[in-house]
Amino acid sequence: MMTSGISVMRLGAVLLVAVPSDPDDDTIADLQVRIMEALNGSSAQGLILDISTVQTVDSYFARTLTETVQMVGLMGGVTVLSGMQASVAVTTTQLGLSLGPIPTALNVDRAMVRLQELLSERQI
Amino acid sequence: METESVSEVVIVSEYDIVLARKGIREAAVECGFGLTDVTRIVTAASELSRNVFLYAGEGVVTWHVLHGAHVGLELRFIDHGPGIEDLDKAMQPGFTSGRGMGMGLPGAKRLMDEMLIETEAGLGTTVIVRKWLSSRFE
Repeated sequence: MMTSGISVMRLGAVLLVAVPSDPDDDTIADLQVRIMEALNGSSAQGLILDISTVQTVDSYFARTLTETVQMVGLMGGVTVLSGMQASVAVTTTQLGLSLGPIPTALNVDRAMVRLQELLSERQI
Repeated sequence: METESVSEVVIVSEYDIVLARKGIREAAVECGFGLTDVTRIVTAASELSRNVFLYAGEGVVTWHVLHGAHVGLELRFIDHGPGIEDLDKAMQPGFTSGRGMGMGLPGAKRLMDEMLIETEAGLGTTVIVRKWLSSRFE
């Protein structure tokens, strides 16, 4: 699938993925595959999922995000979700969705700091 | 009541859910809703159009502006699928007949101001939701 426009960037031990603003279901499913492929065989330990441009998080999207974080966890990786818009946070909560215990950050900069903290905590 | 035209998207694939979201987002912005309400409306639309696709395979989503004492946006999700067997159960958060997360109906109801459901086993389901412009408790 080349049409989804998802790019997985590698910054040292961190993968940075920017989620497209209005992804269809295929794109969301593709996102998961791309992340797992990028993680596989790489030395990346952390993943930042940036959703700052995302305008709608429905239950399908939330479930796929939660699953992806679990899968990354199974491979020994740590995920930080960054940049959720206020309107999306309000709506997701009122819809009754829980994104579980996924670490979050206001933006990518802070996500990077959070991720470093989580990774260093883990090494102790 | 309804002076403006009705827009619609036919749902036959998952991609049509995106088309419905886009059209409804534009309509909600044009109607004058703030960003949080627009997000609520579009998210409810996403849940309900996915229900149409998941449970009936195909259907139609329509929307139009309501003019009266208040201005609002009405969305309709119409399918000729199997219908909802137990509506009370389907309205309980967490209940799912299989493929969903069980958030669609109760979640959409919370995000909107009004919800009406007509369903009959074997004949299909129509879900009507409304959001009023004046009822903004953000």
